[in-house]
Amino acid sequence: MGFLEHLFAGFVSALSGYGILIMAAGVAWGIVGGAIPGISGAVAMALALPFTFALDAPTALILLAGVWAGANYGGSIPAILMRMPGTPASAACLLDGYVLAQQGRAAKALGVSLICGTIGALISIVVLIALVLPLGEIVVHFGSPEVFALALFGLTLIAGLSGPSFLKGIASGFFGLLLTTVGLDTLTGSMRFTFGSAELLTGIDTISVMIGLFAVSEMFYLIAHPARPAGEVVAGRAGTAFPNFRELREVGRATFVGTVVGLVVGIMPGAGATASSFVAYNEARRWSKRPELFGKGSMEGVAAPETANNAVQGGDLVPTLALGIPGSNSAAIMLAALLLHGIMPGPFLLTKHPDLVFTLFAGLILVNLLMIPVGIVILRLCLLALKLDPPVLIASVLALIVIGTYAGDLFVLNPVQALIFGVIGYGMRIWGFSAAAAVLGIVLGVLAESELRRSLIISHGEWSIFVTRPVCAVLLFLTLGVLLYPAFMTALRRWRARRVAAAPAAKS
Amino acid sequence: MSLRELILAGFLVAFGGVIVALSLEIAPGVQTDPLGPRFFPLALGSGIALCGLLLAAAEFLFRGEPSLAGLLSDASPEAEEDAGPFSPARFLGAIGATALYVAAFDPLGYLLATPPYIAAILLIHGGARSRTLLITPFVVTIALYVTFRFGLLIPVPDGPLEAILPW
Repeated sequence: MGFLEHLFAGFVSALSGYGILIMAAGVAWGIVGGAIPGISGAVAMALALPFTFALDAPTALILLAGVWAGANYGGSIPAILMRMPGTPASAACLLDGYVLAQQGRAAKALGVSLICGTIGALISIVVLIALVLPLGEIVVHFGSPEVFALALFGLTLIAGLSGPSFLKGIASGFFGLLLTTVGLDTLTGSMRFTFGSAELLTGIDTISVMIGLFAVSEMFYLIAHPARPAGEVVAGRAGTAFPNFRELREVGRATFVGTVVGLVVGIMPGAGATASSFVAYNEARRWSKRPELFGKGSMEGVAAPETANNAVQGGDLVPTLALGIPGSNSAAIMLAALLLHGIMPGPFLLTKHPDLVFTLFAGLILVNLLMIPVGIVILRLCLLALKLDPPVLIASVLALIVIGTYAGDLFVLNPVQALIFGVIGYGMRIWGFSAAAAVLGIVLGVLAESELRRSLIISHGEWSIFVTRPVCAVLLFLTLGVLLYPAFMTALRRWRARRVAAAPAAKS
Repeated sequence: MSLRELILAGFLVAFGGVIVALSLEIAPGVQTDPLGPRFFPLALGSGIALCGLLLAAAEFLFRGEPSLAGLLSDASPEAEEDAGPFSPARFLGAIGATALYVAAFDPLGYLLATPPYIAAILLIHGGARSRTLLITPFVVTIALYVTFRFGLLIPVPDGPLEAILPW
């Protein structure tokens, strides 16, 4: 089957059954979740995971893709209307968005955010499709050593970039990997860390751990650190006004800059949407014909970060689908949903499950197109959600988490695990560890260990197999580079600091 | 030098050490598998302990050099912008209430266990109006029950109510 036939089949699959309804529900929940501070895109996706139990794998992925896309836009609603970013990535948007709202142009700012974000997301999906297919052709030739090296590279890259401390990021990644070793060893049948418990023979429930680390910890954080009261909505009668053709042309340059930045940053695992939106804001100001308007109510200042924020989705999915390395928390949750449906994420996803990948491509295009009508309709609901008392929201989310994790296997140990990992996740957050790196370890753990052991079974225990194969050697070299980079930079800064300190002394 | 970082480093070393000790108790596996089931947890335990040692070393070597912070240790340990002050009572209360709820989930059933839990979280957080406190637990409980029991067809535990409920 050719590319177009595959894509057409993907659209048919995505639209079959209640496809459109599920996509719209995903987008709507994503927008509302993204709009509520404390429920970021990843948390909204984690909370949607229990609803995927009843769905098949492609539909589950489409639902999550919808939540992801919706949350990207949803974050900009309180940022523009209340000067309160719904997600960290929408913080750049409030710099001009809120000023525009104060000037009475909130509806237009929301319209620009919605349209430019959709444009950025759609372009990024086209690039995703264009990059994933050739990468998949290359990856298909990988053997066990290369797959192991790839998993190791992905892990170190994210662990190094996602946390405030490199060493704590690496330790968090190791912790996530360690969690995947609990239970019966699939190669030899040995029991590991089960402590005589029959419940632990099948290992730790990935979904419960993920929901615990992301969502429960966030709720505990909101309870333990009550935030300041929310700001007032600036626009009394908030609505969405689409930009006309002239206005779209005016923000065209910023939209282009945002798309490029979002794609590039998205493809780099670990860099994330927040970084992309701030970089895009700065770059758009640099390339703008009217940079003096930035910070004073520039539509370009809304268009660039929102486009970048949305374009990250396609970029993130390039390493996720082609190599099995999730580019962000949200992408890691997508891979966890695959595990939930018995599909091992990894570099062979495209070759082993092309139907699934093409359905996801089609679903991504459709959910981003659905963003516009759903975004307009859901705005009022978002404003209502923003008026919810924080304790009501927190209590509802915690109750949903308990019933949601229970629903997975009808097993009360799952909510127990979610609670335990919620506490661990809270501790990780306040002590500077990276829950994202731990989740990455959980997603990549089984693959990394099984491919490492398979490689050494193939080579009869010869470790040289990892350096005699060129691709594997390059990947391990890159991994080493990422690991040594912080130490190198530290040494360089110390040397520069000493030189600067020594210079005045030499002059005198 | 931050005491907090040193304590965390010590915790990592101890945790890694425990993992190494537990890994050595894992059965060695089969001869055709050169690494066996022990290797991966052993390596990870050692790795975590090594991270702890490096963290401690970084604290000693780079103390008083804020420009280096962030590479090997936190740039600002207290950093959590926009967060209110930490309330241990609320934190422990939320954990305790959730633990009790999870313990009661199966024997009491979802419908009986959930409203008191939601009310407890509302009270622990504080700031909820009395009307909210009365209505929310029941509205949320029923909404979630209907979604999971009838929407997703998931058999939610009914506990003692099982004999009374018509479904």
